[in-house]
Amino acid sequence: MWPFDAVDWVMLTIPFAYITVLFGSLYTFSNIYRKRKVAKAAALEPWFPPHLQRNVYLSLLHMESPKCPDSILKAALLRRATEDIQRIIQIRSAKQALQVLLQRGSVGDDLWQRFQRAEKEIEEELRDVVNEANAFAPNWGQTIFQSASEMAQNNHIRERLSEILSTAQSEKEWWEKRKATIQSDFMKELDDEKAVKSPAESSYGGSVKGVKSMSDDDAVLVEAGGPAEKAAKAKKKKGKH
Amino acid sequence: MESPDVFTLLPLEMNPTTKIITANPSSTALANELEALNALHKGLLNVGTPTGTPPPPVPVNPTRSAQIGKLRESGNAEFRKGNHAQAVKLYSLAIDMALGRPHWEPSGLVREEISGLLSNRAQANMAQQHWAEGAVDAEASVEMKKVGNAKGWWRRGTCLLEMGRLDEAEAWVKQGLEFEATEQDLVQLKQEIEKRKGGKAAH
Repeated sequence: MWPFDAVDWVMLTIPFAYITVLFGSLYTFSNIYRKRKVAKAAALEPWFPPHLQRNVYLSLLHMESPKCPDSILKAALLRRATEDIQRIIQIRSAKQALQVLLQRGSVGDDLWQRFQRAEKEIEEELRDVVNEANAFAPNWGQTIFQSASEMAQNNHIRERLSEILSTAQSEKEWWEKRKATIQSDFMKELDDEKAVKSPAESSYGGSVKGVKSMSDDDAVLVEAGGPAEKAAKAKKKKGKH
Repeated sequence: MESPDVFTLLPLEMNPTTKIITANPSSTALANELEALNALHKGLLNVGTPTGTPPPPVPVNPTRSAQIGKLRESGNAEFRKGNHAQAVKLYSLAIDMALGRPHWEPSGLVREEISGLLSNRAQANMAQQHWAEGAVDAEASVEMKKVGNAKGWWRRGTCLLEMGRLDEAEAWVKQGLEFEATEQDLVQLKQEIEKRKGGKAAH
């Protein structure tokens, strides 16, 4: 046949071989390059510490004999979602600042890469949690993060509260001590005054009101006058409520 | 964090009867986490939804709110009668009840309730001249709700003033005025503190 006879097949393989080698090597090198880049990114320190809640959840999920009951798994999933919420809040709040710093050149490219990796991971993580939630109960995936974010908030509130309220005891002790010293100082002052003044005037020491006008700092601590008046005022506030 | 398809298998064990999860060996972080998990599990067991998952944050189950409201009302009644110690006790009960809300219920609601109750308890403490406790309660109340809580600001300021901690009181009231600039009581309190400070300096 005409066209096939005219073709020199051996000579034609040369350009084809050229093209194959060229593209083959390009492909190989790009592959190696990409793999190296990924490996390098993976070698960077992760943004977040190990996800303990996720590990707990997955460990429970893989528990054999006895199988872990669903209720515990649900609780573990909620804990995991709560931690995810905290992480995503961190990511969101860090992003803007980091972008600005990167533009100014204040931080290195490594940090940005670590950040992007963390961002991608957390997205995966959220999707995974939603899927798991939907597997437990239909449509739970839509509300699990709402619940989780309230849980994170509630934990925060309770921590802050117990922090503040735990100071009550020491504050009280401090105040008792201080009250005692002030009172004893005050009594001493009174005694001194009594000693200085003639015994005829000793009734003066008994009347606290008289002293009050003299040094109104300490007057509060004396049972008469000050506090009763304050309490009345306090009550008035209450009435307004 | 590990990549999405890898996880660390933790040495967890479950008590078959109590369903409590423990780890062996354990670290402090893991032990804390498991404690929280077991507590949450216990709370989740009596959640009362057919699927056994927590309901969405809104709407709120009204039973607990009603109970808290009742305790607060009886606290207020005792306060009006002058039984301040009893009022403190009732408010404390109400606070415990509000804090006992399941954690997936709205945190804003908890803040609102707690700040009101703490503010009332501060009031009852102040009426008994327990300035230290009043100051702490009012501080906690403000921490829960900074805006629209002029009473909380005023109460801690007053308590600090009563304890003679003038510098603290001044700083506190100043901060309070940033939130509640028009509150008459706070302005008055500030003037009073300044007067006392002036008096002390002149002493």
